[in-house]
Amino acid sequence: MLTQVARGDHHAFELVYGELSGPVYGVVRQVLRDPAQSEEVAQEVLLEIWRTACRFDPARGSGAAWALTIAHRRAVDRIRTENASSRREQKAAPDLTDEQDVAEEVTTSLEYQRVRRCLDGLTELQRESIKLAYYKGYSYPEVATLLGVALGTVKTRIRDGMIRMRDCMGVTW
Amino acid sequence: MKNLRDDLHVLTGSYVLDAVSPDEREEFERHLQTCPACDAEVRGLRETAARLAMARAVAPPARMEREVLAATYQTRQLPPLSGDPLSVARERRRVQAAGVFAPRKSSWSRRVLAPGQASWTRRLAVAAAAASVAAAAVLGIAQVSTQHQLDTTRASGAAIARVVTAADAQVESAPSKAGGSVTVVTSAQLRESVVSATGMAALPAGRVYQVWVMAPDGAPFSARSVGLLQDTQLLAAAVHRGDRIGITVEPAGGTRQPTTTPVAVIPT
Repeated sequence: MLTQVARGDHHAFELVYGELSGPVYGVVRQVLRDPAQSEEVAQEVLLEIWRTACRFDPARGSGAAWALTIAHRRAVDRIRTENASSRREQKAAPDLTDEQDVAEEVTTSLEYQRVRRCLDGLTELQRESIKLAYYKGYSYPEVATLLGVALGTVKTRIRDGMIRMRDCMGVTW
Repeated sequence: MKNLRDDLHVLTGSYVLDAVSPDEREEFERHLQTCPACDAEVRGLRETAARLAMARAVAPPARMEREVLAATYQTRQLPPLSGDPLSVARERRRVQAAGVFAPRKSSWSRRVLAPGQASWTRRLAVAAAAASVAAAAVLGIAQVSTQHQLDTTRASGAAIARVVTAADAQVESAPSKAGGSVTVVTSAQLRESVVSATGMAALPAGRVYQVWVMAPDGAPFSARSVGLLQDTQLLAAAVHRGDRIGITVEPAGGTRQPTTTPVAVIPT
């Protein structure tokens, strides 16, 4: 589908929009929290998908992974450039349980349940490191500070945790 | 040396979660080119991270679809990479310069609108795009990476032909209060309309005709700008059943929402 988008096919893009707008908006909103800002960034991302569709290489991964990489990176870059200082100061103590922020629409989804089950299978340090990094947009040095562990430990736990997630969810690529 | 390599390999997880600094990201991407094992691991973990994202999918506001689809008509796509390494490197620099790390301010689109420096096609593109935040973001990219990504005339020329020649094309025409008449050709299947006008009164300096897509319920604030009516045709994208095309007189450069009563309203 993205290959057709790359050729300027607006209809293919509508279908891609239908598939990806929910995950794109969801992950951006998860990281940024602010709905208006999330909408703005999600729009930028979806347009970036249109603009750079010809850079997508199906041999290197799925279209969803390509698009969601763009989305997450944009969201993270936005918080790091815009409120690097204010956010860190205000949120000295991380809120480690983000579940109450998750909309009901999300928690009833199959994908949410599957990811949650696999996250539950990790050690607490692996799980919290991954959630702070991916869902809250913290860098691994920030995660290390927040969790009070060494830098090297966080890097290793994130990698080990992600490998376990990959195997738990049966991701093959 | 072994330590350094191990150290970098351990970054696969942090890299796919975007938990590394820009410098580390760059260093790690260089490393990936010489480490097939790391590259393979990154691919698998990137798919895994995508599942974390999909688990948080939330339907965006409905207006976003219209705005994004409309903005694609204002946005030129990147050409495919030609395989030669020099152009790949050049392109990579351009994309980096254009995008991810450049801090962006929400007010820059007004800077792009500075009068006198733009050709009319560009002004047209800018005015149409100013209506939506999404398109504004595109201009932000265009601003840093150069103007050649904006090419409305060429982009919409083919699209206009497609609508007018569509098998289900419907033609609606209505007289305008400003004289002359307005014609709208719509393809319901393509969800696009082509708007053209003839014989409308010339406006005093500083005033323009602006074209809008208006929702069936007619709330004026729900109008979406299509662009300024020059002596050319305009393409309205993401037109839904029952939408109407309206034309208002607005200050030069156009406005975000109609500020006057339409001189013409045409069903699609």
